[in-house]
Amino acid sequence: MPPKNKVATKPKATESAPATITTTTTNPTTTTSTSQPASQPSEPTTVLERSQHRYEQTRPFEAARRQHGLSKLSKEDQKGWICDQLLHLTDRLPAASRSRLLGPKASKEIWWTINGTNSIVRGLKYKHKSEPHTTWGTDRDGHDVGSYSIERFDERTKKRIALTALQVSSRVFRENVEREKRGYVDARSGQEVIVTEREIDEEKVRRSKMAALKKELYGEITGKLASSVEWEDVVPIPHEEPEGALAAIAYPAEYAEAMSYLRAVMSKKEYSPRCLRLTEHIIAMNAAHYTVWLYRAANIFALGLSIPEEIEWLNEVALANLKNYQIWHHRHLLVEHYYPTIASDPTALAQFAKQERDFLIAILSEDTKNYHVWSYRSWLVGKLGMWEDEEELKSIETLIDEDVRNNSAWSHRFFLVFSNPKYATPGKGATERDEKVTQELVDREVKYAQEKTYLAPQNQSPWNYMRGVLVKGGQQLASVQGFVEEFVVKLGEGEEEEEVRSTHALDLLAEIYAEKGENEKADLCLRRLAEKWDRIRGGYWEWRRKCLTKSAKVVEEETEKVEAVAVA
Amino acid sequence: MSILDGDGCDQPTKLEEPYLDVHRHLRYWKMCIRAPLPHVYLSNESNRLALAYFIVNSITLLTPPPSERTAETPEPLISREDKTLMRKWVLHHQHPTGGFCGTSSLVFPLNSYDTYNFDTKTSDEPDHAGLANITSTLFALQLLALLADEEDETAAENVFEGVNRTGTLRWLKSLQREDGSFGEALSDLPGHGRFIAGGYDMRYCYIATAIRWILRGDVEEGSPGWVEDFDTEALARYILNSQTYDRGFAGNSQDEAHAGYAYCAIAALTLLDRPLTSTSTPSRSSLLHSSIRDLPGLIHWLASRPFVYLEPPSPPSDSDTYIYQEDDLDDPNFLLPPTPADLLCLLSQTAEQKGHDKIHVAFNGRTNKVADTCYFWWVGGALANLGQLHNDDSDSAAAPLVDREAARRFLLEKMQHRIGGFGKSPGSPPDLYHGFFGLAILGLLDHKGEKGKVRRFDAGLAVPKETVGVIERARRKLVEGESGKVDEKQTGRGKEAVELGLELRGGGERPKWLGTCGY
Repeated sequence: MPPKNKVATKPKATESAPATITTTTTNPTTTTSTSQPASQPSEPTTVLERSQHRYEQTRPFEAARRQHGLSKLSKEDQKGWICDQLLHLTDRLPAASRSRLLGPKASKEIWWTINGTNSIVRGLKYKHKSEPHTTWGTDRDGHDVGSYSIERFDERTKKRIALTALQVSSRVFRENVEREKRGYVDARSGQEVIVTEREIDEEKVRRSKMAALKKELYGEITGKLASSVEWEDVVPIPHEEPEGALAAIAYPAEYAEAMSYLRAVMSKKEYSPRCLRLTEHIIAMNAAHYTVWLYRAANIFALGLSIPEEIEWLNEVALANLKNYQIWHHRHLLVEHYYPTIASDPTALAQFAKQERDFLIAILSEDTKNYHVWSYRSWLVGKLGMWEDEEELKSIETLIDEDVRNNSAWSHRFFLVFSNPKYATPGKGATERDEKVTQELVDREVKYAQEKTYLAPQNQSPWNYMRGVLVKGGQQLASVQGFVEEFVVKLGEGEEEEEVRSTHALDLLAEIYAEKGENEKADLCLRRLAEKWDRIRGGYWEWRRKCLTKSAKVVEEETEKVEAVAVA
Repeated sequence: MSILDGDGCDQPTKLEEPYLDVHRHLRYWKMCIRAPLPHVYLSNESNRLALAYFIVNSITLLTPPPSERTAETPEPLISREDKTLMRKWVLHHQHPTGGFCGTSSLVFPLNSYDTYNFDTKTSDEPDHAGLANITSTLFALQLLALLADEEDETAAENVFEGVNRTGTLRWLKSLQREDGSFGEALSDLPGHGRFIAGGYDMRYCYIATAIRWILRGDVEEGSPGWVEDFDTEALARYILNSQTYDRGFAGNSQDEAHAGYAYCAIAALTLLDRPLTSTSTPSRSSLLHSSIRDLPGLIHWLASRPFVYLEPPSPPSDSDTYIYQEDDLDDPNFLLPPTPADLLCLLSQTAEQKGHDKIHVAFNGRTNKVADTCYFWWVGGALANLGQLHNDDSDSAAAPLVDREAARRFLLEKMQHRIGGFGKSPGSPPDLYHGFFGLAILGLLDHKGEKGKVRRFDAGLAVPKETVGVIERARRKLVEGESGKVDEKQTGRGKEAVELGLELRGGGERPKWLGTCGY
C-alpha cells in the first residue's frame, strides 16, 4: 500500500532509468519528464497533430505508456498511469457511484496521486483511435479536415461561424415573414410586422451567400427552390418509398427537389404563378409527366391566364419534344377552354385556325408521321370546323406530293373529305357506306388516288384509299377493274409472260372477281400471290382462297334452301 | 444448353438455327432489376409501374414454373422474400379510394388525403383525384399476380389481399366518357369541374376491360361486393366505330390505323365476354366475331403489316444497277424496291450469295412505316386474340396467316442485342419496352425452339398463362371475401354474345363470315 505522505514527490532515480514523468513538488511548474521526446515535438502542423499534442499534454502518463510501454515506466509512473486510467474510466459516473465502486479510500488515494504528480486532472478523451477523420469530419472533397493546416482550419472555422451567423439572421427573417402573415403586432413599436422589400432583397443576398458557403464547406448543393425566398412558406414533401422498390430511376437531385415541392403545393391545391413556374421547371427536366401537365392546365385556368400566350410557349416545348404525348393533350385542353371565347367571332376563329395549322405544318415538317400531331389535327378540324377550309386540303396534298407513301396524310385526307358534316351522315363508321356521299365526290377522290398510284404502284396507301372511297360511296369494286388491270399483265399465261406491277392490284383484282362471282379468276389471283408475287403472305393468300370456296359453298347451300322453300 | 455455352455472337460458320440466348436476356434483366435505371428513363417517371411490369413480366417469362425446374435451373432472379417486399411496394401505390398511382413519387403521405374518412373507408369527394391512373392500375394488378409465390398455392391465392376491389371498380366506372371511351385519370380543372383526363386512346379502352375482367367477377346484383358495371355496350360501340377506311383500327374513328390500337381494340372486345375462368380453353370471342364491321378486312390489314426486311445496302459501286431510290436511304428499315419483280430479283440474288433462301420478316405498325420489335407483338397478339395466329384447330395443313418462322428469325437474329434484351430496330440498344415485347411474342408463338425457355403467354391479359391462373384464383378469393359466395357462370355466354354483337352492328344482315373460315 502506498504511503500516506507525498510518495510521488520523492521519485527514486532508478538505475535502469525508467521513463518517468512524475516530478517533485519542488519543481511544480514543470510537468516534463526525463524522457519525453515525443511529447515535445516541433510545433504541430495539422489539426490532428495539434489535438494529439494537446491530448498528450493533458494525459502525460498515458502518453508515456504509449511511447515506452507500461513495463518501461518507473513504479511511480505506473501507479500514476493506473490512477489516471481509473479516474477516466469512472469519470462519467456520479461521484457517489464512483466512490462506491472504488471505495472511499481508493478514491482518495487516486486523487492524491494524480494531484501529487501534478498531472492535469481533466485530461482529454482520446477519440481518434482507428478512424481519426471521425473527429473532424470530411470536407466537400471527402478529405479529412483533421489533415488541414492550422491556418486553413482557422479559415474554415471562420466560414462556419459566418454561415451560422447568416443562418441566425435568416431564421429571424423567416419568423418575421410568418409574423407578417399572421398579423402579429410588434410589442415594442406597437405596429404590425411588415417585411419590407429591402429585407427581402437582403435575404436573397443572404441565401446566395449561405448556399455558396454550404457548397464550399460541405459540398452541399442547395436546391434552387429551397434557397428561394419565393418558396419560403412551403414545406416540401420528400419522396419516400418502402423497401422492394422496382424500376427506380437515377434522376438528378434538382428533379427530386422540384417534385417534393410539387407534392407540397398539389396537396394544398395551390394555384399561383409560382406553381406555374414550378411546372415549367419540371417540364424542362421531364416533359412526359401527365400529372404535371394537368396541374399546369389547372393553374392556367384558375389564374385566368392568356391561352394564346400559353400556346406560344407550348410550341417551343413541342418542337423540343417531338415524341411527347402529354403536350398534345395539354394543347387539346387549352383549345377546349379557349374555343368558347372565340366561337362567335368568325374572324378570330379563322385567325386561330390558321395559326394552329401553321404550327402543325411546321412540326410535321420535322416529323411527318407523328401520330400525336395527326391525332390532334383531326380533332382540331372537327372542333374549329375547318372542313371547308381549302388550305387544309391543300396542305395535305402538299405532304402527299412530298412523300406519296405518307399514310398519315392519306388517312387525314379521308377523314377530311368523308366526315364533313355538311354532307356526311353523322355517326357513320369509316368502313360503312354513306348514302349521302355524292358520285361526284367519289369520282374526284378515286381519280386522285389513281393519279398517285401511278407514281409508285407498290405503295399501298392510295390502293387502300381508293378501295375505302368506293366502299364509302357504295360503289362496286368492279367499277375500277380497268384501272386495276393495268397493273396485272397476262396473269397465269406463263412465268415469262406474266407481269405484276403491284401486288395490291392483284389483291384488289381478286376481290373484284369474287364480287362478280368469278371465283376461278379470283382464285388464280390469290394463288399467284401465294406462289410467286407475295410469298411472305403465302399463308394469308391461301386462307383467302379457302374462304372463297367456303363462302361459295354457303351461297350455294343458301340458294338451294331458298329454292327448296320456293319449290315447297 | 450446349449452344448457350459458347459465344453466341461469333459469326456462324454454317447456317445456324436462330435461338434465344436466355442467359444473356436474364443478365440484361438482372441488371434492370438490381440497379437504378439510367437517366434516359426519366420520361417514364410518371409511370414507373409500367417499367416494373416490363421487368417482372420478362423475368417471369424466362423463369420456368416450379414444376419444370431441375437441378440445373439457376436460382430465380426474384427470391420469394423479394416478391413479398415488391408486392408491398406495389400496394403502396394504391389510392385510398381505389385505383393505383403510376409512381411512388405521387403517393402522398396518408394524412394529406384529408377528405378521406378512415372509419367508413369512403370519401365522397376524393382529393388528388388525378393521381390514380388507369394504366398504372392494370400494371399494379398484373404485377401483384406476377409476384405471386408460385411455391405456395395459398399465398398465391391471396395476392390481391389489400386491393380495394369495389373502390377501384367504382373509380373505373367514373373514367368512362359519354361516348363509351375511357380516359386515364380524373382531374379537377378550375372552371370545368371534375373531368376525365387523357386522350381518346384505344389503350385506355383495352385497359378498362382488363381491369374489369381481373377484378369484377360475377357477384350478383344487390349482394355485398357488387359494383355497378360500366357501360360495356357503349364501350364496344366506341371501339367498333374506330375501324378505319383501310380496315385497321385507330385510337378513335378519325385517326390513322395503328397496330397497337388494333391490338387494344381486338383484345378489349375479347375481354368483354371472356369467361371468368378460361385457362384451359382457348377463348374465341363470339362478341368480337359477330360485332366487328369488317372482319376479313381487319385480317387483311393485320396480314399487311409484315414485310421482307432487307439489309441496308453497301454504297453502290455501279450506280446503274442500283435500284433503291435515294430517299429510301433515310429510312434504313424500309428499303423495299419499287416493284414486286425487283424484290423477287433481289431476293433470288441474295439467296444465291448466301446459299440459302431464308428471309427475314419484320413488322411495322402502320402502312409504309419501319420495322419495330414491338409490332411483331401487337400484330401477333391481335391475330392470336382473333384465333388466327395458330390455326391448330382448323386445317392443320394450312400455313399460318403470317410467316412465323421468318418473323421469329428476324427477331432473334436482328433484334437480339449482344448484352441481352431486344432493341427497337436492328442494331439499336435494348430497352425495357422492346425487351419485354420481344419475349412476349415468343411466349405467344410457342415455337419448339423456345420450349422450356419462355413461358406460354396469354394474348388477352399480357401475362404468362400461369399468371392468368393466379389472377383467377385471387379474384375468386377476393370476391368471396367481399360477397360471401361465388357464382361464376361458365356456360351459356357464347350465343348471347353473338346476338349482342349483331345488335351492335346496328342490325341488318348477318355477316357472311360467321360460321365460315374458322372465324
